[in-house]
Amino acid sequence: MFHVTKAYPGDPPVLVDINLDIEKGEFVFLTGRSGAGKSTLLKLMFLAERPTRGQVLIAGRNIARLRDSGVPYLRRNIGVVFQDFKLLPNRTVAENVGFTLDVIGTPRAEVREKSVKMLRRVGLEHKADVSPMRLSGGEQQRVSLARALVNDPALLLADEPTGNLDPALTLEIMDLLFDVNARGTTVVVATHDATLIERYQKRTLRLEHGSMVADERGHKAARLMSQSSPLA
Amino acid sequence: MSATAKLQYFVRTALGSLVRAPFVHLIAIASLALALVGYGSARIAQARLVGMMKSFGGQAELVVYLHDGQPPDKLDALAQALAERAHGEATLVSPRTALQRLAAELDEPALLGADLGDNPLPWSVELKLPVGERDPSRLKGLADQVRALPFVRGVDFGQEAVEALAQIEQALRLAGLFAFALVFLTAVIVVSATLQLAIFARKDEIEIQKLVGATDLFVRLPFLIEGMLQGAIASVLALGALKLAGRALAQGALRNVGLLIAEPGFVVDWRRLALECLGIGLALGLVGSFIAVRRFLKV
Repeated sequence: MFHVTKAYPGDPPVLVDINLDIEKGEFVFLTGRSGAGKSTLLKLMFLAERPTRGQVLIAGRNIARLRDSGVPYLRRNIGVVFQDFKLLPNRTVAENVGFTLDVIGTPRAEVREKSVKMLRRVGLEHKADVSPMRLSGGEQQRVSLARALVNDPALLLADEPTGNLDPALTLEIMDLLFDVNARGTTVVVATHDATLIERYQKRTLRLEHGSMVADERGHKAARLMSQSSPLA
Repeated sequence: MSATAKLQYFVRTALGSLVRAPFVHLIAIASLALALVGYGSARIAQARLVGMMKSFGGQAELVVYLHDGQPPDKLDALAQALAERAHGEATLVSPRTALQRLAAELDEPALLGADLGDNPLPWSVELKLPVGERDPSRLKGLADQVRALPFVRGVDFGQEAVEALAQIEQALRLAGLFAFALVFLTAVIVVSATLQLAIFARKDEIEIQKLVGATDLFVRLPFLIEGMLQGAIASVLALGALKLAGRALAQGALRNVGLLIAEPGFVVDWRRLALECLGIGLALGLVGSFIAVRRFLKV
């Protein structure tokens, strides 16, 4: 991202002059208080929002200038996971996962096969034909993750993926995210959970009032979090 | 995925939606059917009125009065020549017959025995014209042509009445067109508002589809198919209702309400009406869905 600013008419800017470079295959935490601009930054990456100023390059392509008709094709290479899972209650777990494949025109038999395979990867193969409403929060998030990954995206964006989960389930989801990253997918996780950042010691970007105030790696990132009392 | 497989997917999705939320779709179908019943009733009434106008027009014949002194053996040939020129049917009326008619019309039988000297009424030819020849401008042109013939003394075709009838017919057609446009517009608004209810229930699904890379067309197509299915079902229901109403009128149960439609001899062209209702139902469903789904595509 180069000098990216996002503002809505009549309000102060949500993001101000953000410069950011994420390498292919990296795992990055994006942190900051509520309202700091984490979700907006992620939205700019999958074009749910467009920057007011600046450029957003993904795989060398300036997506800020991408036409509306090109947005769906960009999104097919990006998996997105949300805090509230966004699962469809009137579809089975496998159908929720297969939704992504339906959209890109995958044949029906293949949709089922790939969905079950992905569910096996997140440990939920045996729940393929039940409603997601009958699953625990952690299981629902795993289904959401399976849906985001079934299309084998190059980039995975997770917006507070563990925000609704207890500590044990949180670690379960994080393990899955690291597994995804180990297979070559670039992962960006927005979280305000300081313990996660301290525990995993990955590159951490910190936003405050829409500005990038820190970009630390390893131990420095952990120290950053322990020093920033409001979040720790 | 092949085009057939894609179509199957869209149809399956559309049918699945109808099954999953039947109540909302029933409301949409009911509003579509009501609009179509309104259209069908207006269409039947308009056809009946235009038919009445035409039948009034049919009574206004062209009467050609001939000069005296035409050889009696040539009169039939003259009448035939006029019929061919007018593309209609000709009836030769003798002065005697004309006098009898006059006496009957005036209710004066004594007129027949009165001493009028020679019968002052001339030979005449009554021309009955086909439907396509009855508009005022054609009638006037034909009258001018016939009047110029050497054996013709005069022509009478009730010009003012024919023109007045034509104006009424045109006004009826315009009113019908205006009413149709109004009903269509209102129906589109009502139908799209109703369909929005159905689509609102699936806004999460649309949001997720968009997030995982669905194009607008991919999201839209099942809704458009759904709208067309609703339109088709509604047109069948509307036609059924119109048929039932038509039967009730024909049986006299509602004769006082619908004298115009129930009049013997008036036949509704159900085949044409069915095609029109189906076409309009599909169009309403399609346009309504297209408008309704638009606002949910911005994700």
